[in-house]
Amino acid sequence: MAVEVKVATFRDIFQYEAGRKGMHSDEYLQLSAQILMDKEDMASLGVKDGGRVLAENEVGRVVLVARASGDKAHPGVAFMIESPWSHQLEDDEPCKHGALGFRGISATVTPSQDNVTELAEIVQRLKE
Amino acid sequence: MVSAMEIYMLLPKTNCKKCGLPTCMAFAVGLLGREKKLDECTPLIEEKKYEAKLAKLREIMAPLENASETGLVIHPEKCFGCGNCVVACPVNVAAEPTRCGAGLGPESEKVILRVEDGEVKAFNLEECRRFGPNKILCNACTATCPSKAIEFV
Amino acid sequence: MTDYNYKSCTGCALICEDILYSDKEAVTQARNICRKGQAHYQSLFAERTKPMIEGREASLDQAIARAAEILKGAKSPLIYGWSNSSSEAQAVGMDLAERIGAAVDDPSTYCEGLFMEMVLKGEVPSCTLDDVRNYADTSIFWGSDPSSSQPRHLSRFSYFPRGEKRQKSYEEERTCIVVDVRESPTARLCPNTTYRVGPGEDVQFLEAILNVLEGKIPKFGDKKKMIELGSVLKKTEYGVIFPGRGIFPSLQDKMELFSDLMARLNEVSTFKAIPVAGGFNTRGFNQLLLDRTGYVKSVSFQQDNGKIIHRPEDSLAGAAKRADALLAFGSDPLAELPVGVARALAKVPMVVIDSCRSITSDEARVVIPSAISGLEAGGTAIRTDGMKVSLEPFMKTDRLAEKQILTRIMEAM
Repeated sequence: MAVEVKVATFRDIFQYEAGRKGMHSDEYLQLSAQILMDKEDMASLGVKDGGRVLAENEVGRVVLVARASGDKAHPGVAFMIESPWSHQLEDDEPCKHGALGFRGISATVTPSQDNVTELAEIVQRLKE
Repeated sequence: MVSAMEIYMLLPKTNCKKCGLPTCMAFAVGLLGREKKLDECTPLIEEKKYEAKLAKLREIMAPLENASETGLVIHPEKCFGCGNCVVACPVNVAAEPTRCGAGLGPESEKVILRVEDGEVKAFNLEECRRFGPNKILCNACTATCPSKAIEFV
Repeated sequence: MTDYNYKSCTGCALICEDILYSDKEAVTQARNICRKGQAHYQSLFAERTKPMIEGREASLDQAIARAAEILKGAKSPLIYGWSNSSSEAQAVGMDLAERIGAAVDDPSTYCEGLFMEMVLKGEVPSCTLDDVRNYADTSIFWGSDPSSSQPRHLSRFSYFPRGEKRQKSYEEERTCIVVDVRESPTARLCPNTTYRVGPGEDVQFLEAILNVLEGKIPKFGDKKKMIELGSVLKKTEYGVIFPGRGIFPSLQDKMELFSDLMARLNEVSTFKAIPVAGGFNTRGFNQLLLDRTGYVKSVSFQQDNGKIIHRPEDSLAGAAKRADALLAFGSDPLAELPVGVARALAKVPMVVIDSCRSITSDEARVVIPSAISGLEAGGTAIRTDGMKVSLEPFMKTDRLAEKQILTRIMEAM
């Protein structure tokens, strides 16, 4: 029960607002630690809207709340708001022109019973 | 926005005519058009068996409470403050052609829509083209909203 | 509010100048400001930073002295941020970088940076946002969602307002086109002219446009829709493309395709490109870097003589991994950067100059509180389209402006 997805990140005005009020707030966590998925992908994982999933690749792993994107079908593609959570899955190989590579994220998504990854844990991992 | 059918499904559906209309469907349409109030359906209010349906009806019709005579409802928590409606509104543009007409924030108090503290607010709704005896179905503000923060009931 | 004492907003790179902030202290009311600008404005009253050394409060002088010590003693310092600062602060920051032999980089490196470079170097034709309002009949948002990142973009310039040659505006004379991987809020405004592409498929989409411009059958996408797009482009009098970070994954190794497309479109009609910049003064920083060094990224200065170095190893990822000290101003690198880069930075002594508590400030060796550019501190900045804007601050504060802080750090060396 796993789905391979390409994750496209985007910017959201409400998540930005929550971050300006405080990056350590519950609101920022709730808006950031989400992954918007295709309905069928979620069904194949047996995950309901609001359920938790683990998104993992060679770079990192995060537990997120899965939400149905409400978009036209996009199997194999998921969306995350750009945040410390999405950055946990990004590699950093520079591209040909020397700018920071932003190849897009590929991740394996599986259902999870763990708690959503806290910001404090992400920061802790950066220091290890 | 809630539909007449959704409202109808929560009514007694007995066509008892106590509200003064011949059918519950007519009452649903009347509620949506705000020509009728929920309290006029006495069985709904007085009979215990409709308690849950009444509660649900009050919930889905709550946005209508705040709607103006033009039917305009703003959901400020959804608003991006983008100003699309401010610039698209024909009344705004007529009042301030060099400001709203050109994408800038209005200066006069004559405008209908203005963004304050990041969210749009409505004023002078009697000037809205959806108001009054010569009303037209102008939808400039709702059609230009990226987040359905501004709607007509 | 009867006097129109307009001030600027530094919430995004549009740097709107028609904001009315109430002068009554009790009532924080700002007119004409979008949700993003309002959030930025309200951060004045959020958790502000205080001078700190190793997690304990210190005096401002002590913090500045310690910062100078760390940066002066570093062999390969990195200075990161830049795009949320005034042009004056950026200039002093560059002096500092030269002085200590630092690598310099900003967030646009992994976002719109490569487009910005093409525009600044004249490799693609560009114009001002006022030109867009006055002349553009086709606005193309490719991998960008300005409704979320530069909220007043469409209402002030690119779709809804009237302009000199576009008096009938969006109703009759403007077309809005969106190319994106998802149904963004901007896409919702023009569902019939939205083109969905999968992640990484922008190159194929671009090639399909080239096909239809040549009258060939496109090999990608809905053929009918692509042909329609081709005819819209051919009928366009003045088209403007606003490329965003969304196309970066596809195009980053093939940026010449974008300039090829622009060249081809300009054979058909007039087409310009304006990047959708991140920080409010991203363009200002990129222009400064280009003027001072001839490069827009992967730049560092040699210690001892301040000679300009430009190598792939000086890209942000490379510079971060070699860094032995970080100065971050007006930015939150631990929150903004891919985990590998952020991890490299978290391991070295960090000096943070910022107005509000952030993820990076919590982990910094030294924190120096700053005034918020544009709201509390003045100066100038360059809007995303290259227009220079004078920042009109309106809030009094005891906090130093970034320019003053950077100057004092240099003095302390």
